[in-house]
This record gives sequence, C-alpha cells and structure tokens, in this order.
Amino acid sequence: MIYKTLLAIWMAVIIVASFLFTEAATGFPGETSRILFFHVPQAWVATLSFLISMIGSAVYLAKRTVKADYVALSAAELGFLFCVLATVTGSIFAKVTWGSFWNWDPRETSIVILLMIYGAYFALRSAVSDPERSRVFAGVYSILAFVTVPFLVFVVPRITTSLHPENTMNPANPGMDPKTLKVFLGSLLAYTALYVWMLRLRIRILRLEGLRVRDLFRESDNK
Amino acid sequence: MHQTKSERRTTLTESSTYLNEAIAIWFRDLRSEFRTRYALNAILMFAVTTLIAVSFSIGSFRIEEAERPFLYSVLLWIILTFSALSGLSRSFVKEEEAGTIDVLKLSARPQAVFLGKLLFNLTLLGALGLVIVPSFILFMGYQINLPGFFVAVVISGGLGLGAGTTIIAAIISRASARGALFSVLSLPLLFPLMITCMKGCERAAIGINSAGWPEVRIAVAYVVIMIILSLFLFPLVWEE
Repeated sequence: MIYKTLLAIWMAVIIVASFLFTEAATGFPGETSRILFFHVPQAWVATLSFLISMIGSAVYLAKRTVKADYVALSAAELGFLFCVLATVTGSIFAKVTWGSFWNWDPRETSIVILLMIYGAYFALRSAVSDPERSRVFAGVYSILAFVTVPFLVFVVPRITTSLHPENTMNPANPGMDPKTLKVFLGSLLAYTALYVWMLRLRIRILRLEGLRVRDLFRESDNK
Repeated sequence: MHQTKSERRTTLTESSTYLNEAIAIWFRDLRSEFRTRYALNAILMFAVTTLIAVSFSIGSFRIEEAERPFLYSVLLWIILTFSALSGLSRSFVKEEEAGTIDVLKLSARPQAVFLGKLLFNLTLLGALGLVIVPSFILFMGYQINLPGFFVAVVISGGLGLGAGTTIIAAIISRASARGALFSVLSLPLLFPLMITCMKGCERAAIGINSAGWPEVRIAVAYVVIMIILSLFLFPLVWEE
C-alpha cells in the first residue's frame, strides 16, 4: 500500500516537473523535446523487460520452477505493452520533427523487431497446448531471440544513419541541461518502479490462476 | 558375452561419434527426401513461382540503372528467405507426422540429431541457391561487379538461414498451426541476417570492395552463434 502511494506521488511530481520545472530543449519545434521524460523511460522499461523475460526463461529451463516461467511470461506481456507505448509516442514525435510517422531509423527498426519477437513469443505460447511443453518452447525461443538482438543493435546502425537526437537528448552526453537530467533520471526511476509494481501484480495473478487450475483438476479427480 | 572395457570403448568410438551419427541422419534424410522429394519440390517451386512473378511484373528494365543493385539484392533475399521458410520446417514435421520421432530419439543423441537435420536443411538450401541465384541473375539482368564477394555473401547467408531456422523447425513440429508459426517465429531471428546479406549483395553488385568483407564476417558470426546456442538448447526441445 505504502509502495503504491509513494509511487503515485512520485509519478505526479515527475509529470508536473517535466512540464513546469524544466525548459524545452532548443532545436526542437515547440515543446516536443519534453517527450524525453516519457518516451525514453518507456523504451528503457521495454528493453529491461526483455532482459528479465530472458533471465526468467533461462532459470525455468535450468530449474523447472513454474514461478520462473510466470516471471518470464509477465515480463514479456508488460514489455510488449511498454514497447507499444514507446513506439506510438516515438512515432508521434517523428511526425512532428522529421515529417513522417515512420522513417526506419535504426532505433525504430530495433523496436519493431522487438515487437515482432514479443508477438511471435505469444503466438508460440498459444500454439502449444501442453502447458509444460509450451513453457519450455517459449523459454528456448526467448533465449534465441535475445541473442539476435545485439546483432540488430550493432548491425543496423552500420547500415543507416540515425535520426535520433543524440546531443541534447542523450544523458550520456555533456550537452544535457542539468535540470532536464534530474527530471529525466527521476522519470526513469518512476517508470522502473511502476514496472516493478505491475510485474509483481501480474505474477501474482498468474500464480493464483495456476493454483485455481490445479484445484479444478483436483476436484475433477475426486469426483 | 562380456566385453572387456577396452573393447567396449573401441566399439563406441567406431560406431557412434557425434559426427558419425549426424552424418547417418543426414544421409537417411536425404534418402527419404529423394523418395518423395516433398521438401525440395515445395521449396524450389515456391522459389521459381515467386521469381517468375517478380520478373514478370518488374521485368529487367523497369527499374532505373542506379536503383538496380539495391532493389535486386532486396528482391533476391526476400525470395530466398521466404522459399526457405516454405519448406525447411519439413525436416522435423515429417518425423512427427510419420511417427518416427521416438525411434530417432532412441537411436541418436540430441546434438547429433540437430547436426544431421542442420546438414539436411543446408543441403536443401544449397540446391535452392544453385537454382535460384543464377536464374535470378539471368531473368533480371543483375549485373554484379564483384562475383567473389557476392558468392561469399550468398553462401554465408544461406548457412545463416539454415542455422537460424533448424531449431525453430524442431519447436514448431510439436505445435499446432505449424506452417504459419514457422515463419512467424523465424523471421524476427533472421531479420539481422537478411539486412546484412541485402547490404552485402548490394555492395558486391555496385563493386564497393571493403577490406575483410564485413557483411560476410557478420553472417559467419551469426551462423556460429546460432549453431552453438542451438546445440545447447536443442536437447531441451527434443526431450520435451
């Protein structure tokens, strides 16, 4: 309860601060640079989620504990959600600044591949009826997919140039305004906390559903 | 009839190293493939039909000279990838359909099964490449200035197609909606390879020679990583 309250307050502070405390970065039309505080954390959470899903899958394959698979599945579902959010917000920003909703910028390419991988993962899970087999296959696929992502990160940028604003919008660069950096880091924290909360909720739901299915089987056995 | 320990060891090394088992599975698959020619026919006919459709609708002169190296390499790789996806799942699906999968599980180790199936799929891809790449070049009037580089990209890309899809074929053979699922699962994994090979073929066609052939090296790295990873993960899929 306290976690939820703190999260709500922190999130509200970040939203207010991102519009009122910071100044819009120069070189972008109007207030569009404020997308930084929402879009980048979403993309970060989507990637983090992908990593967690892979680790959950690897643990499941090694130890065959169902809980690890719940982690993998919940992380995949939430990752998909944040991936869609990042794609949509980024696409709106692209329309305003670069003139079209989609440009096949390297980051856009990699996020679309991420969406495709998540989609394939869910398709695989629903196509295998035996639950244990479905978990193993999904785990194997998750690891395979995770390994191809570095290729995408290193290969695609070699081939096309990026439109993504790197100088004023990338925290790794010294060009970023200190106020902006503060709010940005706060927003990263807020989004990560939100993600952790949602992830734990989803895992709990999956576990309860699993228990319910087991009880149903037990009832039908007893009859 | 007790064998001594050393005798047993010699029979083991003689009859079943991983490579021997893999080659036995490879030859067995080739023999059964030559009886029905199902996978080969499916892949080749898919490729030829697509090539004819592309060639008929685009022709060899509709695209401007400057655009050709890029667009042709993209078309070539789309034809190759989708033809491969139309038939490569057959290697495992046929075991499932014929009910021979349990015997295969008993008679060979999982890694050997994987390698045998990989070799079989690579054979099919080799046949596909031998037929489609020359006919594509002839049909489309594809001018290639660096043939050596081009061949290296096509070969390493073909190896990558085989390495990336063999374990997926094993996965989907146990699932429902196999045909569609095979493409859905394979394409995201093949995407980096496809982009690399398209770029490599484009550069070979234009004649930009770069030291060390980076596209070939990326494709070879992809092949090595996929095969090693599959050798680790395949037993989990196989024994499920």
